[in-house]
Parts: sequence; C-alpha cells; structure tokens
Amino acid sequence: MLASGHLTNYLLLLLEGLAITLELSLGSLVMGSLGGIVLGAMRSSGWRALKAIALVYIEAVRSIPFVILLFFIFFAIPLMLDLDIPPYPAAIAALSVHCSAYMGEVVRSGIGSIPKGQWEAAASLGLPYYRIMRHIVLPQALRVMIPPTIGVYVSTIKESSLASIIGFVELLGQGMAIREANSLRNTADVLIAVAFGYFAICFSLSQVGRYVERRTTRELRQATEPTRAAIARPLVSGRPETQAVP
Amino acid sequence: MGFSDLNLRVLIPYLPMLGWGALRTLEISAFAIALSFPLGLVGGLMRLSDNRLARGIATVYVETVRNIPLLVVLYILFLVLPLYGIPINALTAGVLGLAINSTAYTIEIVRAGFAAIPLGQYEAARSLGLHRLQMLRLVIVPQVFRIVLPTLGNQIVSVVLGSAQASIIGVGELTYETQSIGSSTFRYFELFTIVALFYIACVQVISLLWRLLTGRAAHAPLAT
Repeated sequence: MLASGHLTNYLLLLLEGLAITLELSLGSLVMGSLGGIVLGAMRSSGWRALKAIALVYIEAVRSIPFVILLFFIFFAIPLMLDLDIPPYPAAIAALSVHCSAYMGEVVRSGIGSIPKGQWEAAASLGLPYYRIMRHIVLPQALRVMIPPTIGVYVSTIKESSLASIIGFVELLGQGMAIREANSLRNTADVLIAVAFGYFAICFSLSQVGRYVERRTTRELRQATEPTRAAIARPLVSGRPETQAVP
Repeated sequence: MGFSDLNLRVLIPYLPMLGWGALRTLEISAFAIALSFPLGLVGGLMRLSDNRLARGIATVYVETVRNIPLLVVLYILFLVLPLYGIPINALTAGVLGLAINSTAYTIEIVRAGFAAIPLGQYEAARSLGLHRLQMLRLVIVPQVFRIVLPTLGNQIVSVVLGSAQASIIGVGELTYETQSIGSSTFRYFELFTIVALFYIACVQVISLLWRLLTGRAAHAPLAT
C-alpha cells in the first residue's frame, strides 16, 4: 500500500493522515474547551476550594511537558489500573487535558479583564448572577478571548503530532510510515509535505480567528458609533443640537 | 500491578541518571534561549522596519515556524539535513530546532512590545531632535524592555517544556532518561510522577527567579 514513487503516489495517504489529525484535534479541542470553561469558571468563582483545585490543575498541567503527560496516560495509568488504553483514546485524553488547562487560563483572564464596575452596575440594576454573566460579562469577555483561544487551538493541533510517538498514525505518523516503507529514500519530500499539512491547518485557523476578531470588534464600534456621534456633533458644529439650521 | 505495589526504592540507583538528564535539559534550553533571544530582537526589528524585504522575510519566518509542530522541525533538521551532506548530531539538531522555534515566538514578543509604545513617544523623541538610533536607544527600547520582560519569562518556560521533545530524536535529556529507565524497570508510574514533579518544580523556580531578576528592572524608573 505504501509503495514507492513520487509525492503523487502517496499524497492520498498523507491526506488521509491530515483527516485523522483534524479528527483527533477537533475532538480534543471540543473537550478541552468545555473543560477550560469549567476551569475558568471555577477560577473566577467565590469558592476558595474550587479556586484552589482549578489553580493547581492549571498550573500543574502547564508546567509539565506534553510528552510526559502523554506518556503518563499511555504507559503509567494502564500499568497502575490494569487496563488497556489504546493510542487513540490516550492521545485524545492527553490533548484534552493539555487544552483544558490552557483554555482555563484564557477564560479566567477573559472574565478578569471585565472591569469590576460592569459587575457592580449590573448587580445594582438587580440582575442575578447568571444574567450578569450571560448578558454583560460573557459578550465582552468572549471578544477579548478570541486571539488567545486561537493561539491555544493552534498549539494543541501542533501538539497532536506527538500522538505519532505512541503509535497513533495521524499526519506525522503516516509520513513516517511512508518514509520507512520507501526505505527512507523520500524522507525530505514526505517531511516537507507533512510540515505543509500542519501549516495549512494552523495558518487557516489563525486567519479565521483574525477575521472573526475583526468582525466582532467592528460590530462593537458600530454599536457605540451613534452615541459618539451624538456627543460629538454639537462640539463640531459649534451650536446646540436643538437650534434649527437655516 | 496496582497502587499497593508502588515502590520508589527501586528507582534510587537510577537517580544519578535522572540528575544528569535534568542537567542536559537545562543545558539545551539555555543554549536555545541564548540563540533565540538576540535573533528574536533582530527579527522583531526587521518586522517593524520600513524595508519591505526585511519585513517580508521576518513575517514569512514567523508565520511558517509558528504553524509547524516543533517535532516536525526537529525531524527535518535531524533526518533531512544529513541527506544533503550536512552532518548533524541529535544534540545540535535539538538545540537548533528549539532555537528556530523560540526565535519565531520571540520575534512576535518583541514586535508586540514595540507596538505597545504610544506613537507620541516616537514623535516626542523626534521633535527633541534625536536621530533614529538615539530615539530607539534612549526612549523606545528601555520602555519596550520593561514590557517584554514578563512575556520573555513565559518563553523561557515554554522552551524548557519543548526541550522534552528533543528526547524523540535521541537527545539524552530528562525525558529520554526517564523512558530508558522505564523500559528497564517498568516502574512507569513512579518514574513519570517524579519527573512530572521535577518539571513542575523547575518551571516554578524559573518563573520565580525570572520575576526576582527582572522585577527590579520592570519597576525601576526610566533612566533620567
């Protein structure tokens, strides 16, 4: 199957690997983001115990190399619990843990970036906690969170390449397999193609992120535009609003 | 095997190996940082320069390297370069790969640092009659320095964490030693727990030291 030849002969195999990388990343990003939202909420909550648990989790995971995390889940935990964890679940679990810790930090700093006055103003209007979150804090925080979220996603997708070292055949694993099947003759072509595959995924993701960020900040600008115009007009024209222009 | 079989004593003879591995980890990280910080400063200035070519090169470099996994960069260096007659050992490839990766991020840090300086600072410096280099040296760079210091600390941490990937191409650092001890003792749980704790301690100490070392610079009044 992995028979030799030029790039065209194994391009399909690499594309298959690309699809598997996408699938692996997508699963991890979804679970990691959900975990990150929970962790971020815990970090921003008033409960000390919750705060401490989330802090320790986030700090610990962010201080361990991803390789160690992956090996821990793939080698150490099965040995301890006498169960078999195949490469795919191990990779997804490790990537989700990794992503959730970084996302937790993004969510925390996103919520933390909203000035206290916003909370106080909303609370003094009589809004309950979840409505303050839903209508006041989150819409503003999400906007701040877009660029760092994209950063975390890109880095998680890149880390997914490490799944190849525990024997899961995704894009990089597929490339290495093709290389071996061709007795290492096409190492350069294959690796460059693999690099391009990752570049294509990550670069397009960052471009989408940039687009979304521009869109949301433009909406924000438009939303404040009438107010600003109303304030600015009398100053510009030099006469009160109410006075009829001849 | 279950939790009741946990045995740390088996690992005592292997502690020196882990120690050497840890030193190697710090060594390759230090080399990679020593290479990438100056290069990152140069690259950052290139990204901001008026010269289109310089700006283009720096931008393409940053975008390319930041969107390719470190492991792929390491493989390309270690497996492809020898094919073109460039001999490279695992250690050099590891340091070089980490440096290439870290330079891209450092360029972005430096660029963001310059972007954070209000335009008025540039205009004020120019209107005082300072020429370009004086403006950079006396007015802009000292402020940029204070802005980028905390982020550079994070970058050091991420190089140390990334250095674990050098084990995959055979650099005998901490993660590599851990794996080889693991395959001969089968004490994966104890081993990886110890090593994970070591990395956590290492990262926390580095962050703390960096804050202590740079705290003074970050809060000092600008030179008069």
